[in-house]
Amino acid sequence: MRLKIFLSIILVLTLTGAALGQTGVKKKRPLPADFGRVVLNDHAAKAGLAPVVFDHWSHRSWFTCRVCHVDLTFGMKTGSTGVSAADNMKGFYCGACHNGKMSFQGRKVFESCAAKDPADGTKRCDRCHSLGKQVRRDYDFATYTARFPKERFGNGIDWEKAEDEGYIKPVDVLEGTSTPRKSLSIQKDFALGAKLAGMPDIIFSHKKHTVWNGCELCHPEIFAGVTKGTTKYSMVDIFEGRYCGACHTTVAFPLLDCQRCHTRPVQTGGGKGAQ
Amino acid sequence: MNSCAKPRKRSDAMRRSVLYWIGALCLCLSLTAGAEGKNLPPPQDYGVTIMGAPGEQRVLPAVRFDHWLHRAFYTCRLCHVDLGFAMTRNGTGVKADMNAQGLYCGACHDGQRVHGNRAIFAACRTSIRPEAAAECNRCHSVGIPVKRMYDYDSFTRKLPKQKTGLVDWEKAEEQGFIRPSDILRGVSVVRPRMIPQGDFIINSRGLWMTDIIFSHKKHADWNGCEVCHPDIFPSVKKGTVRYSMFQIAEGEYCGLCHDRVAFPLVECQKCHVKSTPHPGKGVEGAASRP
Amino acid sequence: MNIRLHISVLVTALTAALFLMESPLPSHDTVSARAVAYAQDSWQKEFDDICSKTQDAMLFNVEELRNLIARCDALKPRIEKLEASERKVATKKLSVCRDLYEFVREAKEKK
Repeated sequence: MRLKIFLSIILVLTLTGAALGQTGVKKKRPLPADFGRVVLNDHAAKAGLAPVVFDHWSHRSWFTCRVCHVDLTFGMKTGSTGVSAADNMKGFYCGACHNGKMSFQGRKVFESCAAKDPADGTKRCDRCHSLGKQVRRDYDFATYTARFPKERFGNGIDWEKAEDEGYIKPVDVLEGTSTPRKSLSIQKDFALGAKLAGMPDIIFSHKKHTVWNGCELCHPEIFAGVTKGTTKYSMVDIFEGRYCGACHTTVAFPLLDCQRCHTRPVQTGGGKGAQ
Repeated sequence: MNSCAKPRKRSDAMRRSVLYWIGALCLCLSLTAGAEGKNLPPPQDYGVTIMGAPGEQRVLPAVRFDHWLHRAFYTCRLCHVDLGFAMTRNGTGVKADMNAQGLYCGACHDGQRVHGNRAIFAACRTSIRPEAAAECNRCHSVGIPVKRMYDYDSFTRKLPKQKTGLVDWEKAEEQGFIRPSDILRGVSVVRPRMIPQGDFIINSRGLWMTDIIFSHKKHADWNGCEVCHPDIFPSVKKGTVRYSMFQIAEGEYCGLCHDRVAFPLVECQKCHVKSTPHPGKGVEGAASRP
Repeated sequence: MNIRLHISVLVTALTAALFLMESPLPSHDTVSARAVAYAQDSWQKEFDDICSKTQDAMLFNVEELRNLIARCDALKPRIEKLEASERKVATKKLSVCRDLYEFVREAKEKK
């Protein structure tokens, strides 16, 4: 009897188990305007407000990743920062710019988390604490990015090309907050051998990454191994949001686009050529 | 095969468990086999997708999308990768304004893109004259008899068929009846072709079934890499992700396509081949049985 | 009265007044605000001096990196005295900077 029950449980679990798992099904692909959206709820729900909806695309067209993630110390994972209204009001995190005083593109950047609603009668909090609400935004994705060079997946924008061609000019220094730095001594590109036979090798460009990230964003928090080859990781780790996946699952071009990284044709009959 | 008698007398645990597993086999076979395609819908209804959540409040009837016509013209990759269509019902969340913007259906159905010698009709224009509202029924046709431009029987009359009566799309392409297009101008981003992996053996778990030879080439021709990887099959190392026929029958892994749009699971021998060749002769992996 | 006495009383009074204005009797708010202002200026300066060099981390030798790490460690207690929000941000900034130097030092020592 017990054996039958045990086998029944196994049978039922097999049938239903994968329904709860992540593999075997196609994940919903967010629309270009929705890619990079994060919902921040460090303290919002506790304060009785809707969680904050932050779309990366607009900010990434104005600032490098480093300004927010290193100079302003925003975490790379949702929920890891712990931003509160008090922090913002004191000029930290969002409040470093969203203080009603900083000028940007000829306008004052609206104040986040201030004590009073603005004079025009709008509900100030809703502008960011907008999950589940219809909030009119200042910038519409389609209009704003209409002329940007396009790529597939993610936001559908080639952000790198957009900067090269002058459509965007991300700022790397926030006055009064950023540590003044000299320009970077460039690290060389190097090859990462693909483990799967037949997959093209990856050419990793340090330059492309450091232009927007500096060094501290990745080292050592995301990539702790100091010598190439010491940290072993696989695509499974990356799909789960570790290593390259820290950015390339949610904000940077998604992992669905294999050939953005796997670019080097496989060397036939020879070693995988390194640097 | 549906009545599997249970023992009247409780005897030893071994006999019970054997009979229990016979019961499991009955379940498996009834899920996958039926009797010679008895459970399959008529060929013109196979692969039909109703777009929209069941029971959802609607202004127009739900959209009935027949896969058979589009798959004759386009690869799976074009719609499911380049256009971003999901692979489960209501997974995409297409709305009229998205179509009007040129996303999803609207990428082709814009009134301008030419197919053959005609412009493809526009889907979901933002403003429709009230008298032309019936144009919506061209797609929003669940529950409404609609005359279609292409009739299934006449379109597929000459196409090679499988045992089940469904079109054999692979043969249809081999024999030149169809030439699915893989690129949508203005939408597709063309990448250098990647060499698909070689065929390999997937060992069958059930002792009563032969092993499977999986052909990457056949799948990659229509799907590219991105339809399956990494969402459906994230494993880069064969054997990392384990799944069974139960999950496939539930519409996961292989079952995401097969039994819905691609050839149904009732055709066991299309995958479970009669005998697997020795490894090294064009396939990787060890046969579980000689 | 003697003019010299007036002058000396006046000078004494002025001096006393200046002295008192310069450092009034301690009241909690004034002292802490000033302490914060001073601390803020000095820790910020020191932080900028140490961490503005992260871009060139690979060009330093091991000794220089050890020096920078030691300076980060010395700065930590000063940051811990800051007000809550500032402390949270400054601690993270310092640790990110220090960890990078540590990372590079380790890389150079292992070579």
